[in-house]
Amino acid sequence: MIRDRLREVSGQVIAVAVALILGAIIILLVGESPVRVLMTLLRGAFGDQEKIAGTLLQTTPILICGIAACIGLRGGMFNVGIEGQLFLGGFAAAWVGFAMPLPPGIHMLAALALAVVAGAAWVAIPAYFRARYNTNEVVSTILSNYVAVLLTSYFTIFLFKRPGGWSETPPILPTAYLPELFSFSRLNWGLVIGLVLALGAALIFRYTSWGYGVTMVGSAPKFAEYGGVNVKRQGFVVLLLSGAVGGLAGGIETLGVHHRFMEGFAPGFGFDGLIAALLANGSPVATIFTALFFGALRSGSLLLEVDTSASREIITVIQALIILSVSAQVLVRRRGDSQAGERRWKF
Amino acid sequence: MEILDKLVNVALIAATLRTTAPILLVALGGSFTTKAGIFNIGLEGQMLAGAFFAVLGSIWTGSAFAGVACGVAAALVFALVFAVLVVSFRANEVVVGLALNILAGGMTISLMKAIFGTRGSIVGQGIVGLPKVQLPGARAVLGSWAPLISGFTPIVYVAFIAVPLLVLFYNRTRLGLYIRVVGEKPEAAEALGISITRVRYIASLLCGLLAGLAGAHLSLGYITMFTENMSSGRGFMAVAILIFSNGDPLKVLAGCLLFGFADASSLRLQTFGYPSYLVLTVPYVVALTALFALSYRARPKIIAETLASMQRLLSTDRNTGPDGKHPL
Repeated sequence: MIRDRLREVSGQVIAVAVALILGAIIILLVGESPVRVLMTLLRGAFGDQEKIAGTLLQTTPILICGIAACIGLRGGMFNVGIEGQLFLGGFAAAWVGFAMPLPPGIHMLAALALAVVAGAAWVAIPAYFRARYNTNEVVSTILSNYVAVLLTSYFTIFLFKRPGGWSETPPILPTAYLPELFSFSRLNWGLVIGLVLALGAALIFRYTSWGYGVTMVGSAPKFAEYGGVNVKRQGFVVLLLSGAVGGLAGGIETLGVHHRFMEGFAPGFGFDGLIAALLANGSPVATIFTALFFGALRSGSLLLEVDTSASREIITVIQALIILSVSAQVLVRRRGDSQAGERRWKF
Repeated sequence: MEILDKLVNVALIAATLRTTAPILLVALGGSFTTKAGIFNIGLEGQMLAGAFFAVLGSIWTGSAFAGVACGVAAALVFALVFAVLVVSFRANEVVVGLALNILAGGMTISLMKAIFGTRGSIVGQGIVGLPKVQLPGARAVLGSWAPLISGFTPIVYVAFIAVPLLVLFYNRTRLGLYIRVVGEKPEAAEALGISITRVRYIASLLCGLLAGLAGAHLSLGYITMFTENMSSGRGFMAVAILIFSNGDPLKVLAGCLLFGFADASSLRLQTFGYPSYLVLTVPYVVALTALFALSYRARPKIIAETLASMQRLLSTDRNTGPDGKHPL
């Protein structure tokens, strides 16, 4: 058991190492020194306490989106629409924040609640069609991302633009702010919420029969159906929950960091979260570490743009390479398996 | 009615054909992988890589056609990596496809910064666009309707000619048949001695070829520039079309014309003063609606499946314990 776990972790580590070597080659190709890029990334991510707080600030949305992805992946669903749920959740929270004066505390909770509802509502149609008519959820959720981003931009610029502002809503009232953890950073309670969610999700998957059913549907749907799980209804619920968490990530980003909604307020966090969850093999606790890794990359990349000639998108390249090499190592680890077996990820 | 008159005219139909071409090419490319039984969500990335390297090649060589060749080569590299991971390594196709899309997005932006030192887009810099082909005699025969068949870039003609060619390919050639057998009944293919691996590699590479052409059309066709993520979801729309057309070239054409029309008329609606953000959602909403509506139409099969699973459920009920509970 422990040896299996060790082999699994070492496999992921080797895959990451392979990806980093490939990444170094690409950095050489774009005319920059890999060592300098690495040192800059490390300095940008962990240089001093403000930098570390900055890394954790970037980790928070990746972690929460990662948990959203984990919930889907465990149940055999690819929710690629987390990005869109994040945007709608972010807008919904901002709307409650600036348009609805409420007492402190309650205001924040109401805003987060609406963010959750918005995220779940946004995925509801793809989820319904996936559960009822088996419509491919990968495509429908990806396409709905584009609609979500354009729709929130429309709300922001045409309906709720701050007078004199630049494609942003009015600021939310201070009663809806998520409290900050330290005085020197915008790092806020969102990180704590993320950690609690990760542990909560892990406990649910491990100790409840519902969580066991979800994992069964994800890994052996026929077996689960035979065992009495309502596969269709559960698929719907899983996607809805995943969307709700995605919406929450957006709400936390709005209430904790930006204190308003603006165009392109959290680009790519949804996809980073999905990648973090894939690298963590669908385990919420492991997602904490992979999200931290990607948060550090993101935070370090801000300095990369300043100090080197490489662009910060080079980290996206590295992330993609990591996922590719992780997906390739499935074969290495399962060489003993029959070649006729169906292709799948490792859940 | 007046708006309709302004909307629907020769110019709009010509614009529809123009905007249909890239999505048609990429969807026809995807039809190879769909028919071979591979779910290829990586079309978007192949198209984007094709668009970027087409611009690069066009600047380096000063020739639009050499640019197209570069774009196709880049898309083929992406297709090859996809095939190696999915066919040989049996990795999950959704994961590999998404990762390659992300790779294409990050790589094109990084290279753009490294080579041109700019962010956002490459404009000018000596990009040579594709020439427009004026069919001789078109104006004499068709008069004001001539723009419907004349004056497009060569890639547009390739896209539309590819449709009947693909119909013939799937129905009349050995390779086309092999691809269909591998997709529909892999066991049968294996029994016949067809190499599933080789056929799927060929299908993936053919797909990369057309996706690269589609990308080149985006950046060298009617606008000669490259912008970040300029494929803007066309690859995903193509996948949506492939799902409900099952990769049949004629159905693919019908679906793509629908999207081309949505795309072209959304550009027109913007000029009528509708908010651009809402208008830009039109193609995506059309894609989603078609996807949902056509899967709803496929429900008789699903009802049959539901009946079957209910029968199974009833028969398992009899096998459960005396307390009537399910074993799980």
